[in-house]
Amino acid sequence: MAEEPSFSKNFPTKSRLKPTSKKRRSSPESKYWKSFKTQQISGLVSSITSIDFSPCPPHLFAVTHSASLSIYNSHHPDSPRQPVSTISAFTDVAYSASFRSDGKLIAAGGESGIIQVFETKSRNPLRQLRGHSRPVRLVKYPRIDRLHLFSGGDDSVVKYWDVAAEAQLNDFLGHKDYVRSGCGSPVDDNVFITGSYDHTVRVWDVRGSNSESSTMVINHGKPVEDAVFLPSGGLIATAGGNVVKIWDVIGGGKCVYSMESHNKTVTSVCVGKVGRDTGEESEQYRLLSVSLDGYLKVFDYSKLKITFSVRFLQPLLSVGFSPDCSTRVIGTSNGIIYMGKRKTAIKEEPTAGGFVGFHFMEEPQRRVLRPSNFRYFHRGQSEKPSKGDFVVLRPKKVKLAEHDKLLKKFRHKDAFVSALRKKNPENVMAVIEELVARKKLLKCVTNLDMEELEELLMFFQKYSAQPRYSGLLMQFAIKVLQIRAEDIQASETLIGHARNLKRSIDEEIRIQQSLLEIQGIISPIMRIAGRR
Amino acid sequence: MIHGGKSFVSSPPAFSNDAKKLLVCTGNTISVFSTSTGMQITELEGHTALVTAIIVVPNANNVFCYCWTSSLDGTIRYWDFSAPELIKTVDIRLPIFSMVIPRLLVKQEESDGKVANVFAYMSVEDVNVHVSKAKYLRGQLRKCNLTESRLAGGVILAETVQPPYMTISPSGEFFGIQNKRTLYIWKVPGKDYEHAVVKKMKLHHTKNFSTFAFHPVDRIVAAGDVTGRILVWRGFGWRKFSIHDDFNNDGLMKSEDERPGVRENDDADSCSTWHWHSSEVNLLSFSSDGAYLYSGGNEGVLVMWHLDTGKKNFLPRIGSPLLYFMDSPDSLLSSISCADNQIHMLKMSSLEILKTISGIKLPCSFPDKWNGLSSGFVFDDAAGVVAIRTENYRIQFYSLLDNREISEVQVCERNHQPGDDITVAVTLMALSPDGSMMCTAETKLPEEGIGGLVCLKFWVRELQRKDFKLSTIVYEPHRDAPISAIAFHPSSQMVVSSSYGGDFKIWAFRNTTQDTNPVLESSGWTCHAVGSYKRKPMTAATFSADGSVLAVAAETVITLWDPDRNVLVAVVGETFAPIMNLFFVVKSDSLVSISRGPVPQLSLWSMSKLSMVWSYKLHSEDVACADDASSFAVLALLPESPKAVESNGTRIHSTDGIILLFNVGDPIPIVTWSARKANGGGLSFLRVNQSSFEENTSAGKERSTLLVYINGDHEYVVFDPYSKEAQKLSLACQDASTEHEETGHFGYSALYGELPSFEPKGETDQGPILPSERPWETIFNGSSHNLPPLTKLCSAFLESLLEKRTTAVD
Repeated sequence: MAEEPSFSKNFPTKSRLKPTSKKRRSSPESKYWKSFKTQQISGLVSSITSIDFSPCPPHLFAVTHSASLSIYNSHHPDSPRQPVSTISAFTDVAYSASFRSDGKLIAAGGESGIIQVFETKSRNPLRQLRGHSRPVRLVKYPRIDRLHLFSGGDDSVVKYWDVAAEAQLNDFLGHKDYVRSGCGSPVDDNVFITGSYDHTVRVWDVRGSNSESSTMVINHGKPVEDAVFLPSGGLIATAGGNVVKIWDVIGGGKCVYSMESHNKTVTSVCVGKVGRDTGEESEQYRLLSVSLDGYLKVFDYSKLKITFSVRFLQPLLSVGFSPDCSTRVIGTSNGIIYMGKRKTAIKEEPTAGGFVGFHFMEEPQRRVLRPSNFRYFHRGQSEKPSKGDFVVLRPKKVKLAEHDKLLKKFRHKDAFVSALRKKNPENVMAVIEELVARKKLLKCVTNLDMEELEELLMFFQKYSAQPRYSGLLMQFAIKVLQIRAEDIQASETLIGHARNLKRSIDEEIRIQQSLLEIQGIISPIMRIAGRR
Repeated sequence: MIHGGKSFVSSPPAFSNDAKKLLVCTGNTISVFSTSTGMQITELEGHTALVTAIIVVPNANNVFCYCWTSSLDGTIRYWDFSAPELIKTVDIRLPIFSMVIPRLLVKQEESDGKVANVFAYMSVEDVNVHVSKAKYLRGQLRKCNLTESRLAGGVILAETVQPPYMTISPSGEFFGIQNKRTLYIWKVPGKDYEHAVVKKMKLHHTKNFSTFAFHPVDRIVAAGDVTGRILVWRGFGWRKFSIHDDFNNDGLMKSEDERPGVRENDDADSCSTWHWHSSEVNLLSFSSDGAYLYSGGNEGVLVMWHLDTGKKNFLPRIGSPLLYFMDSPDSLLSSISCADNQIHMLKMSSLEILKTISGIKLPCSFPDKWNGLSSGFVFDDAAGVVAIRTENYRIQFYSLLDNREISEVQVCERNHQPGDDITVAVTLMALSPDGSMMCTAETKLPEEGIGGLVCLKFWVRELQRKDFKLSTIVYEPHRDAPISAIAFHPSSQMVVSSSYGGDFKIWAFRNTTQDTNPVLESSGWTCHAVGSYKRKPMTAATFSADGSVLAVAAETVITLWDPDRNVLVAVVGETFAPIMNLFFVVKSDSLVSISRGPVPQLSLWSMSKLSMVWSYKLHSEDVACADDASSFAVLALLPESPKAVESNGTRIHSTDGIILLFNVGDPIPIVTWSARKANGGGLSFLRVNQSSFEENTSAGKERSTLLVYINGDHEYVVFDPYSKEAQKLSLACQDASTEHEETGHFGYSALYGELPSFEPKGETDQGPILPSERPWETIFNGSSHNLPPLTKLCSAFLESLLEKRTTAVD
């Protein structure tokens, strides 16, 4: 015969399946972004104006807030939420901290118009670059170059500095409003961009003879809050207003894409990376953008779609992503830093400076197992099947929950109570349905003692208004109240629970009515819209 | 013509002597199954009515495979079931309900060399007595001399109201019947002759007995009653049966008070009662060594009682009421027959089921409130498969052509406990035309208004395997209203479900495989459209053959829809009663509707004229439309006449249904057949490959379409509605005798061709022997029992000699 002869199996109770939505719930990518477990660093005074990660391990990050610059180590074993060091040699608000490519120096601008360079470890102020007449909101070291940096200020001037000499090499004039953002090119240290409130992003080349005019001007259309080079060096992303735009610099400054999914001004963008082993390198980069509406969006600019979006309760001002893909930091306008850390950081190859010793690991000799050895009796038990082997699967054992075991023994009331105590509404509903099929539900209700009845009433109060369960639970609740009316009236607590139940149902009715009203408003509109 | 779908559990089966074969009564035939594979080996055909008993002749060295069978047609037949051939027929002209042959079980001491007569005791129905008598004992216990093939004259052991079922002790010493609250036990005389005095004793109880069994060695009898008690009498019949063995006559006679539990005058030493079963005990059997007693009942649990201590051991969850338990000569193997038409081969040492022989599932008895919610059968007409709902929330796929089960699908994940109230049931099902998809609807009854649930499930057949996989579950597809019909679109993946709640929904299959990630494939059925007509209950729905029109019956009118755009196209007509079923006739623009109830109606509607063409006042059960012709067949119930009611009482099966084959243009049916047990029956046309069908029938005619008719008991017949053979069937059916058809060659004849037909032994002296035409050298060839008597041979021999001489002259 076709079927293996067997007696009827034991079927555990199954809760109703939930409807599956058409869109995929969790792609591997959103899983990746969700794996950043957010920690909150609070207690800072003012808004977090900038975040910058050190390019060298252990990838410290620097945060400017009010008149100080704090350096954090997210990998600190004990207190990652405490600053490693704080530099407070600012007379006014500090802006735009930037690490040098070896991470040994850090530069920051400020409201006072002075750019200061500190040694990261000792916090000693090494250089002060004076030249801007207005607050400096942009200070950036180029990607590799250790000697120079560029800055931009509210005086709409972009300056190029020789740090060691404390000398200003170039003045780039062209912006007509505050320069608030900029980024060095990842491929060439002589090229950088700046974004300004005059709606333009300008590409500068320090080698150019004519310092007055920029190599290229891109009009974003809104005051530019942030501008970054994407890792290929051919694309730049600009943020301004509630729009993030991707531009092709090599192709003559053409707008590739305009992402308009933020509701408020996008304050900062940065490049993140999906740390995957497979796939091409260029496909792993994402653009992270934060906005005053509290959203962090992850934009896949190769597929031109948003792959992840998460909301924070505060207006967000700045964002940073560590080069080892282990940390993502978001700064808010009221002194809170959301630091997202992945459990398993992507291992990075040791940098060139790191010393890697070569040891000859002596291969342990495989000893022949003898019966005197304990492992002898376990040999081969953990053997894995090789590729060509045919695996004979052991029949899967059905794990029974406690209520299933009780149902199997026909202890209906106990099964019901056990499901109630486990507090999983799905299971409770499944047990109720099973009891209905056995016609034992009302028998169970009459057998409940006072404590169990109290639990049942609490369950009703919690779930009977939920549309998923209400169809069954409403009728059941009415029946229970009818059957056990005397017991409920006898106890003060049960009366309280019944009252709560009534209240929650009243509220649900009110909600339903208002929903109906809304439907009444909408449906004629929809009808009219459908007619056209 | 193929018959099939017989019950395997109408009578107890019997093991062959080597326990490798199981002989099962299947309607008019005896099917021989292999116990190791569970497949049918051969079939014994010859009886013309239900076979009621099989007795395998015990044989020490397993060489011979002979058995006696009795049937309701009044004959006892003797077979060699290895060959398979009929050896002897004894006609006693009384329907035999049960038969025992004690002589076979007694160790034969053939010292005198003379073969003693073999006597059979049987319970027959006396059909000669008139029905009109008020106190009328129809059942009789009679004795038959099988050697001389006649009834022992005038020996009637007992008369009962109904022919009783007889039980024999394994030693062949006793046999008995249960009659209401009394057990009657007879002792078979040591030397049996025709008028030997058969001694009788009685055992009494306060409840009606349902079954009983004899201990294989000791004088112990166990009996079960309708309340579930098992009574065990020990040492019965020492007084009544003690004349011949008088050495223990008075020694064991005990006074009244020393016999615990025994009713006043009953002849037994003690009587103990065991009670575990909650309802009637259906089977009782002692193990072959007599240490255990097996009992089973409606709970579907086999209970093993240790006879001395009364300790119990269980084999639970068999899932259906147990009917018979058969021990095999191989003590490790036994069989349990279940009420769901299954025979389980049980390994006794480990209590596990080795094989299951499953027949077509018997109709499940749903309470009245399910009526109208459930449909009968679904046919996969290309594969020749019928899908049947079973009681344990499954769907059985049964091959009509091979007459065996193909697979089962568990629809609700629930255990079925026989005897429980039915609260969950699979009410409807539909198969897609290519058989790759299935849709089922199940209903759960609420408990006092709480928790009722209607659930629609979509299944997809897996490519490699035969069984279906669940694809989509839809809870409460039409709120809480029950579903009235489900139908598949003939070509595209679309299903319509209509409900009594006043709407119908069209479901479409969406397969959204994402290119990037094929693992996260999300395919399923989603609601495509919803429609309703004046909030009337939708009672039936079907697609037209090309799928362009969807017809939904809104009580008494038929609404026609465009299924793709969900637009009401037309509304047709009005019937007197709500329409229960709709069928499009292929290759024509006609629609057939069925209404039931007090004003039944069978109507044909023309879609081009949007009007009724003709209508009959017929209570139709089912309609089948041939897919390559403009004809359709209707299974209709005959209006009940007073005569029919009467005949129901007398258990003579009369025809209660009629199958009509219509052509679309003509309101007069082309052919009519009458059918039995048509209530709850089904009808379908099959599109079967020529070759596959030819294998099953020896007739090599051209067959285009086949019609299958399943009756209310799930017995079916497949025939060609257009051939002349079928015309004969109609006549035969009207005679109320079941037609029998030769089906191929089996066993011996398959290897060596047809055997020469010869007269059964019992009638050799009556029938004239034809002289052989063969030359004299070959006259004496062949086995001796085949040869005619010498007196007859002589003339033939001489004649052949004469012939030879004439040829020599020429």
